[in-house]
Amino acid sequence: MSTFVFRRIAGVLPLLFIITLISYAMMGLAPGGPTALMVHEARAVSPAERQHLMALLGLDKPWYVRYFYWLGALVLRGNLGYSYVDNRPVIAKIVEKLPVTIELIGLSLIVTLLVSIPIGVTAARYRNSLFDHVSSLISFAGYGIPVFWLGMLLIDAFALHLRWLPAAGIASLGHEHDPIDNLRHMVLPVVTLSFVSLASWIRYQRGAMLNVLSESYIRTARSKGLAERTVIYRHALRNALMPTITLLGLSLPSLVGGAYFLEYVFSLPGMGYLGINSVFTRDYPTVMGITLLSAILVVFGNLTADIGYALVDPRVRYD
Amino acid sequence: MKQPRPMQLVARRFVRERSALAGLAILAAIILAATVGPFFSPYSPIAVDHALLGKPLPPSAHHWLGTDLLGRDELTRALYGARISLLIGFTAMVVAIVVGTLYGAVSGAAGGKVDAVMMRIVDALLSFPTFFLIITVEALTNSFTLVIVVLVIGLLSWMGVARLVRAEVLSLRERDFVEAARALGAGGTRIVFHHLLPNAFVPVVVAATLTIGDNILTEAGLSFLGLGVQVPTPSWGNMLQDALLPSARSALWLVLTPGLLIVITLLALSLVGEGLRVAFDRSIAQEVSTATGVTETIEAA
Repeated sequence: MSTFVFRRIAGVLPLLFIITLISYAMMGLAPGGPTALMVHEARAVSPAERQHLMALLGLDKPWYVRYFYWLGALVLRGNLGYSYVDNRPVIAKIVEKLPVTIELIGLSLIVTLLVSIPIGVTAARYRNSLFDHVSSLISFAGYGIPVFWLGMLLIDAFALHLRWLPAAGIASLGHEHDPIDNLRHMVLPVVTLSFVSLASWIRYQRGAMLNVLSESYIRTARSKGLAERTVIYRHALRNALMPTITLLGLSLPSLVGGAYFLEYVFSLPGMGYLGINSVFTRDYPTVMGITLLSAILVVFGNLTADIGYALVDPRVRYD
Repeated sequence: MKQPRPMQLVARRFVRERSALAGLAILAAIILAATVGPFFSPYSPIAVDHALLGKPLPPSAHHWLGTDLLGRDELTRALYGARISLLIGFTAMVVAIVVGTLYGAVSGAAGGKVDAVMMRIVDALLSFPTFFLIITVEALTNSFTLVIVVLVIGLLSWMGVARLVRAEVLSLRERDFVEAARALGAGGTRIVFHHLLPNAFVPVVVAATLTIGDNILTEAGLSFLGLGVQVPTPSWGNMLQDALLPSARSALWLVLTPGLLIVITLLALSLVGEGLRVAFDRSIAQEVSTATGVTETIEAA
């Protein structure tokens, strides 16, 4: 068990290393290369000045030397560079936006699990019934819905026409510390994000349940004369839920991507809202900081899910 | 008794899946409409009608799907937009499949340390939230021609295919027919291209169907943010961008048309993909059962 955890954690290091390499390579794509990331594009820089600046910043060194300078600053001081827009450290700008993103993703995961598990289990239990067909059709349709489009339709219906819920932001004026008001603001984005991810979750849950139901210990439970309810909920569900933990980790990147997009649509001041607006203002250091940090967060999310899985399922061993 | 070829088996099973056939029919209809539809439209997809500027007309006998904010016929734009959206979806899929298949095959065939490093790179790329990674690269390259959009989408969505192909190659590598080919003196390249890849064909086709759908969604998202296909060229994505401007918010038909087209196309694509997958799984099951002399049909299970 502890060897598994240890080796899994050790496996994360090379992954993080490659992620920083990819991010660093992407910065080379920025117009004008990395020097442009250091000087404001509006300011005219003479070739001599540029030469001086490059020497000063160590940019006359080969790329791998520069990469390790950059990595050193990142690892030792958490330095992700400075924003073009307000010259503040990128890391500080991101950290203050983190809670909103985590709230959106967390709430949406809870809603998705609460809805998809009963639907998936019921669809598997009554396989090929009308319920099974309807739920699979809905999950197929859910896969193809553009997340921003669904968000806009919900804003139209529930905020603009019915006026039941707020359309944007995380709090009403004068209610900045009111949790109920905040939750009302989160309803539409959370519902949108959950609906889009429901598709894969329902299918996954149904498949996992069908797998478990074909196991021999289920036949044993049934032949003991146990009620079908008991068999499903006491014996099968527990084992069908285990792979869900893995899916939790696997779905993180798309969940994070969807959450970023919705933060923009619903004007929720989270990492995605900052990120997309930084794309528009060409604030490359902030954009790159968010890209890199998102990948790192996903890696740790995955790690947590894997270790969690190993904790609940003693059959898991490393290789 | 003559054994049917695997591909024939898959085709036969596929035809029996009613929902997959429905998906195929919808897809055919959309492709047909996109190819010939524009020739039947009396309207230009781009020319602005100044009399109707800022006053979108609801659907009528003249404009079946109404007009947009610049007085252009929505149906005509939807048809031209279908060409762009489908074209991007398809070509970016080809890029992703080619890169993913080669990468996965090389990784799986090489094995050992090379394989480990190559797969770690895939893991790393998959850790980035794909859509945000695509926006970032689009913003960094700062170029929005069709070719760039296709390349950016294609070159950032091959990782799933690479994993799939590698897994197939790894499982096929130890099979008897590959061993036989090796014993007959076939080289590594020949084994990969003649023996391993053809057998990974069907799962790759299934992945390809779904990748087209993902790409159409990505294009829509990019264009919605103004980072994809640029106006006035219509695509389903930038039509949605127009429709979601505050001044168009009362014109529900402008919001529904491109959105529903995307949803229907993706539904059709995933039905076809699922049909192919089921047909493939079942024909394998039958192949195995005939080979071992088991007479009961696994299909009933």
